[in-house]
Amino acid sequence: MIELGEVSLSLSLVVVVYAAFASFLGGARGNGVLVRSGQNALFALLGLYTVASVSLMYALMTRDFSVEYVYNYSSRDLGRFYTVSAFWAGQKGSLLLWAWMLSLFGSIAVLQNRRKNARIMPYAVGFISAALALFSVLMVFASPVFKRLPAIPADGYGLNPMLQNPGMIFHPPTLYVGFVGFTIPFAFAMAALLRRQEGELWILSTRRWTIFSWFFLTLGNLLGANWAYVELGWGGYWAWDPVENASFMPWLVGTAYLHSVMVQERKGMLKVWNVSLVTITFCLTIFGTFITRSGLISSVHSFGETTVGYYFLAFLIATMAFGAWLIYSRREMLRSGEKFDSILSRESSFLFNNLALLGAAFAVLWGTSFPMISEAVRGVKVTVGPPFFNKVMTPIGLALLVLTGICPLIAWRKATFSNLKRNFIAPLMATVLAAAAMIAMGLRDVTAWLFFSASVFVVSTIFLEVVRGVQTRMAGGRENILTGAFNLVNKNKRRYGGYVIHVGAVCMFVGFTGNLWNDQKEIAVKPGESFNIRDYKLTYLGAGYDKPKPTKERFTATVLLEKGGRKLGYLRPEKNLYSNFDMPNSEVSILSTLKEDLYLVFLALDGNEVATFKAHVNPLVKWLWIGGMTMGVGTVIAMLPDKREKKFMESLMDSIVRT
Amino acid sequence: MIIAQKKFLIGGLAVAGAVAYLVYAGIKETSVYYLTVSQSSSMVSSDRDFRMEGNVIPGSIKIAPGSLGAEFAITDSVKQVPIKYHGAIPDMFKDDIKVVVQGKYDKNGVFLAHTLLTSCPSKYEASKQGGKI
Repeated sequence: MIELGEVSLSLSLVVVVYAAFASFLGGARGNGVLVRSGQNALFALLGLYTVASVSLMYALMTRDFSVEYVYNYSSRDLGRFYTVSAFWAGQKGSLLLWAWMLSLFGSIAVLQNRRKNARIMPYAVGFISAALALFSVLMVFASPVFKRLPAIPADGYGLNPMLQNPGMIFHPPTLYVGFVGFTIPFAFAMAALLRRQEGELWILSTRRWTIFSWFFLTLGNLLGANWAYVELGWGGYWAWDPVENASFMPWLVGTAYLHSVMVQERKGMLKVWNVSLVTITFCLTIFGTFITRSGLISSVHSFGETTVGYYFLAFLIATMAFGAWLIYSRREMLRSGEKFDSILSRESSFLFNNLALLGAAFAVLWGTSFPMISEAVRGVKVTVGPPFFNKVMTPIGLALLVLTGICPLIAWRKATFSNLKRNFIAPLMATVLAAAAMIAMGLRDVTAWLFFSASVFVVSTIFLEVVRGVQTRMAGGRENILTGAFNLVNKNKRRYGGYVIHVGAVCMFVGFTGNLWNDQKEIAVKPGESFNIRDYKLTYLGAGYDKPKPTKERFTATVLLEKGGRKLGYLRPEKNLYSNFDMPNSEVSILSTLKEDLYLVFLALDGNEVATFKAHVNPLVKWLWIGGMTMGVGTVIAMLPDKREKKFMESLMDSIVRT
Repeated sequence: MIIAQKKFLIGGLAVAGAVAYLVYAGIKETSVYYLTVSQSSSMVSSDRDFRMEGNVIPGSIKIAPGSLGAEFAITDSVKQVPIKYHGAIPDMFKDDIKVVVQGKYDKNGVFLAHTLLTSCPSKYEASKQGGKI
């Protein structure tokens, strides 16, 4: 089995070079046989990576510790579930998963588009194959997946206990789907430019890939945040760690791209801007991988090995240089006929949304690389941490939240006074009322007040829009409120899916705002003693010890939780020791409500039965997870097949055929 | 038409300027020096918080039972500094690992730390001794 995997990867190196070569040459010469052969080579790559993946999975499942990777990331007592996740616990498996996904996505894109986008497909396949070439080279030369150990050990080293958490199983592959998925719109953009194909067909053809990848990037970040929250035990979910930032930056630019393409579809404007955004997004996914693998920036996510990072760096520089050259050389073609008419218009609000998102991405990039820059320029390392990011991102976030309310409803080209009045007077009144009510209810924090008011504004604009739409449909008399709402969404899924995503974003902003009132306390107590945090009373009842696995020792504290004299239940945080990992691991215990989370960490237990705890009260955290789920629903709606869009696509295809 | 274009230019520049200002002010107000133990001697009489990295000297860790915090010493293999840390001790804290502390010196040259970060360069990779048989 292992030999099969090894041979597949070696073969993939040959096939990937052929796929790129045949596709580019076939495209340039207009040679259909060569083009089809290139596409078949991409399918063959999918087959080869699948065989390699199956053989690695087989090695993991059969506990074949002669393979170094299997030895490093699994052991005999590791459950099936986590043995599967060991596939991507380390770098080599991650690379294989990445390559497999990219070949899969590429193959699907070929099947979807080889007729619809026949002119640019050869080049798109060429670019996808070029990206795959990087992974094949890495897996064969720099980081051989199936590297063998000289002697077969009796048992494996085991999976790091911190990775034995459901969040960690799904977080990496989810993020990879997002990273890999953005390759498709990027490849199409580059192909359209190289082919000098004008028009928006490539954008519309890859729209679902974009939103799909964007959503998985969102979800991947959220799952990572959730994992950090429940597993790392420091009480928060986002630390502005360089690697978190590395996956946040493509998200920011990808979000900008997702919005600005709408301006191009509608008005034929911002063409250079859009191809630049998709290029930057793709480059940032590679940059993110480079940061993780290079060890250049110290982070909790370091993978150790350094050589792989330089391959990514070289690929990154080549991509940036090529992308910049291609956009520059096609600048005539990208010139827009239209101009911005008014600063009070949909185009304009999209542009400001883009500037804010790019500004945020720039601030994150600057803050992340500041230690390196300051060391190079001034000779002293100066770091910035969460306070910097929170300070910079808060005003930008507020601006974005307000724009979320304005963008979808302001008129295209030039907003008239009556358009503004019609769409914004009622929501503004609702916002003013809500803002006054918040003050009356005792809200004194200005930042929170602004964020909550803006949230009310956004939700009420969306509410008004939906109510009006349903009323219009019901006016005909044939539809009731339910069928009216269903048809409204059904007739324009992209628009209403977008609204649902916006509601999710508002929920997330509410969750972020909760950070303003975070509270924490560290304390040492004896059994029977109590302590308070906010209006919670916690009583330490004692600690138990057991040994659930030969390699795992567990201390479990039992803490009675009361609030206002009422018993809420028991919290049972754990402290675990592992014989094969020389660090203990805390399992936190959380009582989560819509209002706040009570979060308890069992820090230590000494010989005299004194236990130390760290308790946090984190308000509104749950809204973050609710927002993420809402975004998922919105994404599904926005991706469903849509008649209107199909028509638009057909008209675009006609215009391509005519030229 | 021309006026609208100008407005966009001004609006765009205003956003860019605002972001630049936020970044500038943010760095000015929140950045801290990140020094090695040797470099930190210049901060002995300073009142400013800074970060310092070094290796925990084996055998130097003293944890008083039932209290929060630890006393230990770190070194960059040139100089060493005693640390008094108050707060929760991270899971990975032990002898001979690289740590980052944040705080400042007291009058006696003891570093009073309020933050203790452990950084393990290969957290997700199996430890190197384990990897070789």
